[in-house]
Amino acid sequence: MTDLLLENESARKLIKTLGLPIPVPERLERAKGPYEERPLDDKTILVGGHGALQGVLAQVLTKAGATPWVVGKSDSVLEPYRGPGEAWARTTRRIEPGDAPEGERVDAIVFDGTGLETPDDLHQLYEVMHPWIRRLNRSGRVVVIGRPVGDVKRAAIAATRAGLEGFTRSLGKEIGSNGSVANSVFVEEGAEDRLGPVLRFLLSPRSAFISCQPFHVTKTAKVGEAPETHVLGGKVALVTGAARGIGEATAEILAAEGAHVVCLDRPADDGPCSQVAQRIGGSVLLVDITDRDAPERIANDLKERFGGVDVVVHNAGVTRDKTLGRMKPDAWDMAVDINLGAVVRITERLLQNDLLRPGGRIICLSSVSGIAGNRGQTNYSASKAGVVGFVRALAPQVADKGITVNAIAPGFIETRLTNAMPVAIREVARRMSAVGQGGKPEDVGQAITFLATPGAAGLTGQTIRVCGGALVGA
Amino acid sequence: MGKKKKNGWGKKHRAVIVTGVRTPFVKAFGRFLDLDTIDLADIAVRALLERTDLPHDEIDNIIWGGVILPSAAPNIAREVALDLRLPPSVEGMTCTRACATGLQAVTLAAAAIERGEADVVIAGGSDSTSNTPINLPQKAVHALAPLAFGKASTAADYLGVLAQMMPITEILPRMPKIAERTTGEVMGESAESMARRNEISREAQDRFAERSHHRAAEAIASGRFDDEVVPVETPDGWVHTDNIVRGDTSVEKLSKLRPVFAKDGTVTAGNASPLTDGAAAVLVMSEEKARALGYKPLAAFRSWAYVGVDPTDQLLIGPALAMPKALDRAGMALKDASLVDMHEAFAAQVLSVTKALASKGFAEVRLGRSRAVGEIDEDKFNVHGGSLSIGHPFGATGARMVTTMANELARTGKETALLGICAAGGLGAGAVLEAVR
Repeated sequence: MTDLLLENESARKLIKTLGLPIPVPERLERAKGPYEERPLDDKTILVGGHGALQGVLAQVLTKAGATPWVVGKSDSVLEPYRGPGEAWARTTRRIEPGDAPEGERVDAIVFDGTGLETPDDLHQLYEVMHPWIRRLNRSGRVVVIGRPVGDVKRAAIAATRAGLEGFTRSLGKEIGSNGSVANSVFVEEGAEDRLGPVLRFLLSPRSAFISCQPFHVTKTAKVGEAPETHVLGGKVALVTGAARGIGEATAEILAAEGAHVVCLDRPADDGPCSQVAQRIGGSVLLVDITDRDAPERIANDLKERFGGVDVVVHNAGVTRDKTLGRMKPDAWDMAVDINLGAVVRITERLLQNDLLRPGGRIICLSSVSGIAGNRGQTNYSASKAGVVGFVRALAPQVADKGITVNAIAPGFIETRLTNAMPVAIREVARRMSAVGQGGKPEDVGQAITFLATPGAAGLTGQTIRVCGGALVGA
Repeated sequence: MGKKKKNGWGKKHRAVIVTGVRTPFVKAFGRFLDLDTIDLADIAVRALLERTDLPHDEIDNIIWGGVILPSAAPNIAREVALDLRLPPSVEGMTCTRACATGLQAVTLAAAAIERGEADVVIAGGSDSTSNTPINLPQKAVHALAPLAFGKASTAADYLGVLAQMMPITEILPRMPKIAERTTGEVMGESAESMARRNEISREAQDRFAERSHHRAAEAIASGRFDDEVVPVETPDGWVHTDNIVRGDTSVEKLSKLRPVFAKDGTVTAGNASPLTDGAAAVLVMSEEKARALGYKPLAAFRSWAYVGVDPTDQLLIGPALAMPKALDRAGMALKDASLVDMHEAFAAQVLSVTKALASKGFAEVRLGRSRAVGEIDEDKFNVHGGSLSIGHPFGATGARMVTTMANELARTGKETALLGICAAGGLGAGAVLEAVR
């Protein structure tokens, strides 16, 4: 069922003309092709704050094609931007704090809050963002960068750092109606060189449906070469549940980045799964992942055909909803085994003998309802919250091989699953996010693909929500 | 096997520039209207042969360059050999590399000689923008195919062909334009965006254009180009000199022109190179051969380099990477070059490139070195003007630059000249010429 408020131009016009008290969601700008050399080409990005990251920001933003406007009291704030600006012919401009010249608009705001130490310093956030937030173009981006809370002993500093996340979560809710999103990034000291790809992703249309989320960039996992285009060239990626929906969209995007995708689904889904594989030039692997010998068969197949695997996307999942009192044991077992048991078994098998090659990527699918809890989904929530624990615990164990382990928690995504919901509930669920609409499978696919790239080495052990800033959950 | 081959295949030789000539460069749709690119090439090569008294049987081959190639006879080099009744053994190939084509032809000749493949090569290039073939859109071609191949016989067949030709606008020939195939961007728009991004003002562009015209006019007036430009006879009489150069132009006059590619833009007809007809030819030989035949060589290539940049970024910034690369290969720094000659596609492009060369930031990030390539000394930069004033027949420009710089080295006793050329598709070229005494 299509989203009338999003797809139907007459309905949109009618509501706006009549001034009906129905918020009309903004159409989100999405990425059209594979990763580009300059994902931020000709975008104007306001940069505020005076932390340790000005040099990194100058390099990353100008190379990605953006024109940075730097907020500061004197021209010395432009100094770090001068060289990179000349290298990529992106001339910076200084913006007086508290000022927003008439008629000027920006595509994104980046705040470097790594230098903030006291609650008073948080005022800088206000000073930079307040004059510009209503000058943010549609499908705009706000990225607030800070240092991790856990790194300091002094409570006042920790409090200040933590404040950045709350600010961003609220701001995301405010700018969602503009199709814009806000996220925070916490960069561990020494992990600055891993910030670039994360910024490129968060400022690009690839992150259209991610809002109000904290990202933790750490130096936990070993890092290697990170290409900026054709980011998965030469990699082998396994995607479970690839026949349709999020799995299909993910397989397509992974393939567009150069990965050879092994599309795995149940033997009963041979038809659609083969079609996907054929379309993207991948291969098919028909296995029921709940079979006890499934991990062994998958491992053997990957070893024989490709000598190993680089990216594993545990996408296959089911819901078997019933309140606990009415739930049959089968329904419990099935949901927990497919969503969690199989994920654990297959991962453990692939980690044996370096079948998952060094620098590998594991991406599991969690769910917003797994985090927030949902009536009738005790089984599902148990499995999806289990995934969160699984990636958190596994990440440090495999970090020295350069392997990262993360989870994606989708919110309301327009798929076969959500299409089957009753109309009224679906309509409410759609609007229960900052951007006032459901996401598309490709939004989740983009997030998964980003986590699969070598450039995402700074992110591990995390659960990242792709939920458009859903109003439920933490 | 022991027998020594005539050309010494595989033996190391130094390739030298013996001499070069060109036709006057003439505004398109003007005095060379009736001369197509092969005619222009014929004129330049004939003049080269006459001026050098080169025995025809010494010529190994012709390497010619063209950008708008005649579709019926794209291998211009061979057509020239046949037109001029050179011995049938004089073989020929034609190359294309957008605005760096002329230099490409000459460096191909040098490479062939240095590999021992040939001893005497005529290299050069030509273009006649006045005779650009106007193609029918593929739709019309495909619809008309049954007629051309005699498949249509009944009235219904003919009606069918007609029906496919509708709507009429889709089958009308389109005006050719200098646009990037991948991006659709017209080159002037690329220059406009480079001017904006590198903050090259309208005034700076006009000033550079003025300088180009004044220097070229001075060179013409002083007879400096007499050795390298040959008069051409057309049905309307003789053409003796370049006719685009305006010695009386000024920043004031140029500032009155309206921007062409953007409403509030800075690129005008005055600070962009004009569409031009013309040809240039260079005689390249192995040094031994040149000396054996009694010629006094002018110069030789110390190095060259071709690069590519992302055409969706700064289309014409290529020379800022190619020139340092050529300098590196020659074991030189920018300050060591006694002369610098850069193709002037647009004043905005030249000034963007010089700005990048002078930037430490550019050097660090784009070239991986800690110091800027350097500023180019005004006195040694485009000493006799460039494409803005002299004109730019795409295929000929590189050969013109090689000729002018080779002569300049010989005349002034200077040591080296650095060349730089930007080209469509995001290409860039650089080369270092050294004097041969």
